[in-house]
Amino acid sequence: MANIAFVAQEGNTTTIIDRTFGMFDTVINQPHGSLALVFLIGVIFGGIIQYTRVDKFEKIAGFAMLKDTIVPKMLFLAVGLTSIGLYFMIKSGGAHYHIKPIILQGLIIGGVIFGASMAILGKCPGTGPISVAEGRIDVLVGAIGGLFGGLVFTLYYEDFFKPLMGESLGKLTLLDFFEGHEELTVLIFGIVVTIISILIPTVELCDEKEGCE
Amino acid sequence: MTNRLPWWVGGILMSGLLLLAFSIYGANRPIGASTYVPYFAGIIFDLDPEKYVYLKEIEPHGAWEGVMLLGALFGGFVTSVFITKSFRFSLIPTAWKRHKNGSVVSRLIWSFIAGFFMIIGARLAGGCTSGHFMSGMSQLAISSMVFGTVVMISLLVTGRFFYNTKDK
Repeated sequence: MANIAFVAQEGNTTTIIDRTFGMFDTVINQPHGSLALVFLIGVIFGGIIQYTRVDKFEKIAGFAMLKDTIVPKMLFLAVGLTSIGLYFMIKSGGAHYHIKPIILQGLIIGGVIFGASMAILGKCPGTGPISVAEGRIDVLVGAIGGLFGGLVFTLYYEDFFKPLMGESLGKLTLLDFFEGHEELTVLIFGIVVTIISILIPTVELCDEKEGCE
Repeated sequence: MTNRLPWWVGGILMSGLLLLAFSIYGANRPIGASTYVPYFAGIIFDLDPEKYVYLKEIEPHGAWEGVMLLGALFGGFVTSVFITKSFRFSLIPTAWKRHKNGSVVSRLIWSFIAGFFMIIGARLAGGCTSGHFMSGMSQLAISSMVFGTVVMISLLVTGRFFYNTKDK
């Protein structure tokens, strides 16, 4: 405790640096990949999003206006392929499921707020930072808004947000409804989602600044 | 025309990355991209993690995503400068001018508001496009399918009413 009090006295800058190193330590001490690997996963993530240009405003806001379908096509394809690959990886012991709980109120209220915000900002929390990295000042302002959102959520979590989220109904997956037919369920799901990604008609909202096809 | 990858190449690569993250030889966990925001807010606003239950809850995920985010910023920057050559400073997107208005102030205010609520929404639901839509649906999770459906509807309804969608 004495240590924490000492750090606080030195001012915010030192605290930020200390806590950033604390972040590295937390990752190093976790069984979830080395620091370098986690960083590398980020580099590839950022590279894919940048190289496909799905971080552009025209992509997500364009989809909200039904004038651009690149984002849903790419998302559905990634989900379709991953669902099949992941199932067989888990079956062979190479991975585990990490299911998020069904907190129904949180999912619905959060989903409505999230969807509306995504349409207006034209980014999601994964693509936003990539836009900032390529020089989009408006998205940087959105990210600062996000930090304040994170602050408010943390401050009022126990009093307001946690009760609003409601109780968890458990961590169900589609497989729980088709016991005994897991393999078939995964294959049908994966193939159907992949086919959907191909069948969604390709339309694009063009940005003259980057040229159009 | 900017140099870029087609959507199907992006989808295949993203699937490979998700599987690498899930693999016990990789990170043995899903990719997520919204927990880092309250995690960084805790650091920047100097909130004591011992005092705030939420910060304590998200500590392991927040740190992991925080490091991944640093990588993503680096990867995005390098790709935008050297590969797609799309790096430039800008205040207002082309389509915002065409379908909303030409005001930079309006864009910045809406960005701030949308950024604020986006994180509240994601944290209420326990995930975002990465954690729920990509990682969650790949695990056939019911929670993620509920979230994905609600987000899709809300996104399309907002897009329909917020923007002037008639082509000028």
